[in-house]
Amino acid sequence: MEEDRVRFICKRTVVSTKSVEQGQLYRFSVFDHVMEPNHIRLVYYFRSSKTREPGEITKKLRESLAYTLNCYPIITGRLVKDIDGMDEKDDLNRQWKVKSNDGGMRMVEARATGTVEEWLRSVNREEELKLVHWEDMYHLPYYWSTFYVQVTEFDSGGLAIGLSCSHLLADSVCAMMFFRAWADLTLTRNMMAPPLFHSLPPRRFANHGMISNNQLLSHYIKSCALNAPPSNLTEDSIVTVTLLFPDPMVRAGESEPGLSTFEILAGLFWVCVSRAKGKTNEFVDMSLCVDVRKLLRLDQSYFGNCMVYHKVQYSKPFKTKDSLLLSHAAQDIHNATKRLDYDTVMDLIEWLSSNSNPISNGSDLVCTNLEDMGNSRPMMFEKDLILSHVSCYVEGPVAGGGQVIVLPSPSCEEPTSRVVMISLPRREMVKVVEDELLLSFSPVLLMDYTKQKNV
Amino acid sequence: MPQAPMPEFSNSVKLKYVKLGYQYLVNHFLGLLLIPIMAVIAVELLRMGPEEILNLWNSLHFDLIQVLCSSFFVIFISTVYFMSKPRTVYLVDYSCYKPPVTCRVPFATFMEHSRLILKDKPKSVEFQMRILERSGLGEETCLPPAIHYIPPTPTMDAARSEAQMVIFTAMDDLFKKTGLKPKDIDILIVNCSLFSPTPSLSAMVINKYKLRSNIRSFNLSGMGCSAGLISVDLARDLLQVHPNSNAIIVSTEIITPNYYKGNERAMLLPNCLFRMGSAAILMSNRRSDRWRAKYKLCHLVRTHRGADDKSYYCVYEQEDKERHVGINLSKDLMAIAGEALKANITTIGPLVLPASEQLLFLSSLIGRKIFNPKWKPYIPDFKLAFEHFCIHAGGRAVIDELQKNLQLSGEHVEASRMTLHRFGNTSSSSLWYELSYIESKGRMRRGDRVWQIAFGSGFKCNSAVWKCNRTIKTPKDGPWSDCIDRYPVFIPEVVKL
Repeated sequence: MEEDRVRFICKRTVVSTKSVEQGQLYRFSVFDHVMEPNHIRLVYYFRSSKTREPGEITKKLRESLAYTLNCYPIITGRLVKDIDGMDEKDDLNRQWKVKSNDGGMRMVEARATGTVEEWLRSVNREEELKLVHWEDMYHLPYYWSTFYVQVTEFDSGGLAIGLSCSHLLADSVCAMMFFRAWADLTLTRNMMAPPLFHSLPPRRFANHGMISNNQLLSHYIKSCALNAPPSNLTEDSIVTVTLLFPDPMVRAGESEPGLSTFEILAGLFWVCVSRAKGKTNEFVDMSLCVDVRKLLRLDQSYFGNCMVYHKVQYSKPFKTKDSLLLSHAAQDIHNATKRLDYDTVMDLIEWLSSNSNPISNGSDLVCTNLEDMGNSRPMMFEKDLILSHVSCYVEGPVAGGGQVIVLPSPSCEEPTSRVVMISLPRREMVKVVEDELLLSFSPVLLMDYTKQKNV
Repeated sequence: MPQAPMPEFSNSVKLKYVKLGYQYLVNHFLGLLLIPIMAVIAVELLRMGPEEILNLWNSLHFDLIQVLCSSFFVIFISTVYFMSKPRTVYLVDYSCYKPPVTCRVPFATFMEHSRLILKDKPKSVEFQMRILERSGLGEETCLPPAIHYIPPTPTMDAARSEAQMVIFTAMDDLFKKTGLKPKDIDILIVNCSLFSPTPSLSAMVINKYKLRSNIRSFNLSGMGCSAGLISVDLARDLLQVHPNSNAIIVSTEIITPNYYKGNERAMLLPNCLFRMGSAAILMSNRRSDRWRAKYKLCHLVRTHRGADDKSYYCVYEQEDKERHVGINLSKDLMAIAGEALKANITTIGPLVLPASEQLLFLSSLIGRKIFNPKWKPYIPDFKLAFEHFCIHAGGRAVIDELQKNLQLSGEHVEASRMTLHRFGNTSSSSLWYELSYIESKGRMRRGDRVWQIAFGSGFKCNSAVWKCNRTIKTPKDGPWSDCIDRYPVFIPEVVKL
């Protein structure tokens, strides 16, 4: 194996520029607690047309990060348990809280050889994860930073910024919003969308009984049980492939009105993965991960977990031709998503307040919808740094037996083009990438798995 | 019940008035003496009447020779007086370095780094935590960028870049404030105790600002936290010899190369207290600067206790068992500081104290020597001699000790405590941050006297007495400009981490 392309330079802590009021405690919502054992890793790639002094952009980013952290005391704080609080419940449920102590967040600086374009052409999952620093929780969580940023400058131009965080504090949506706020502050010295910290909507008191047939709730009841099926423990290693779908809506053929691109792609992968697993008469269990901020009437700047997992059931016949299968699958996904409404989610929230176990998606296929995270205003730190690619990884029991994450495509012109990151066991991946239905969408391979060493 | 406290209160009030009366009497003795004499003369003159006065005047034979000789004599004496009078040395202006907010080190970050770096030495980490809790530092003190890394990377390059950052920023600010052109600098003195590269820091300054080739430059290193006042002393002596000159003094301490990497407890203390800072001072003996100068230097007294072994070894740089170099602070540092201060006060007392205090001190001294050695020694009240005090912010213990010894009130030591809180122990430049605090609070008036006391390794105690030349308006910029409204803050005995 050729030598490491990424060279670690140093690690340090970045603190906010204003000192925080000591002793403030932030509580987590029920959605946060349920996601505790997982963590997120994001990598943003920027190409550059200007040559810079090595270390110059890193210094600038470090300073602007310090200013950004003024608005995010929850990131610079540290996790504590068992603080003598006002809750009587604390005796039974010793839950995490964040103590705002001004600790700061860790930042790692690194250099990589070549340019961003070269890297993107030949990288695989293992190498990509070298661009994101992450440390599992220490034995003493009070000294453990929950967020990590790694800035990697490419010797011949370009920049990669990796952000990783514990899922207890943030979901992929607000991690991306944090990143955007940082970019805005660096470029314009102005934060367009500062975060909002508040609790989820309160309990309803209109004497609702639980909605019967609340599938979202039943999924959580099953998945949060202590004896929920563990995540994929096969001897097969997980590999990741990134595909760019230039215009999936068109390729879907009968463009059914009302279906979103995510639904079509999720349906596509539902079909392909099921076939790869060898199931001919049924589909694999699949959970969809969607952002419910809009549903709960919360602003997109709400900082905290606000994404739910709901299972989809296939209700139509199997023995049909491919395109019809796909369209049925997409339709079912659409219907399942439509069934989510304010009351359904509030039922879940109310139930979760008496449940303290984290969710595990077992060996389900998990499809995460992040397609709305693109923005017509481009995100950049400096005028010549153009975002060329975003990667997203979620690790932990919530990742189930395989993941499909649908992201917006930063570089493609077409508004419906999407970048999809698929993580599956190797044996299944081999079959999925050869699947005819998948190939009919003419996806462009952005990141391959073939160079990955077999662990 | 009301009976018992009343007599005490009225006693103390009586005592206060007695003291005030005594002080007024002794300090204005000559003036008070002059009044009855003038009264007697005036009565005599009135009694004598104008013709008698005229007769008296005519009876004094004024020879030409006598008049000429006496006038020459007077001129001669006054010339000798003016020639031998030491030149007045003025402090035109000074500027203190304000570290960037991105170098801030809150307690939590410091402790975390400490724990990550010394992960197998929990006792040392505990020790550092206890020191930090009681240190009197705030959450806004700054360390140089190289010390922020895990683990710190104190390379020579990093030390040089810290030196460039702190010194050049302070000097640029000073040039802007005073309108001084770099080519006009006659004397340059740089003092930095623990970092002494080749070429020296003064050569670095000369290189950056392209100073004249006949500049008199000095680089003082190894002289500890009192080196700032030693530089002032050197500048004063040089300005006596060179007429019509100015001198720039740069006082700083470079933290980067001195981060102690071991875990010996007595040597971990400086890591917790020392912070980044520097000051640039412009001094001059030119008459043209007299109008715009902020302060006039009245006295400067240096006391060195190095002859005593205990004092010599009390702040000692050495290698620990694992060959890490650090500064060892001995346990009786406070006692030695107290003794050094006493020696310094004995010298400076007669120069600054009003006659009333000196008389009392003298009589108590004679009494103790002759009558009864058990009498309590009289501690002169320095509050009568000075309006402001700048005590080197070496640590909370130093300030507490001096406050007790000199019987100062909280307001007198406020400048020192607040500087320790906001900037930490910046070594030789801390006196200038304290002076800047007093100015920023608008307390500095024309004629106010300031006493700067600095302690340093060796063991040295140096004091400088300045007299304010003009009332100083609250500065718009400066290290305290963005936070002076928050001060003074209450600093708890122990900050719970």
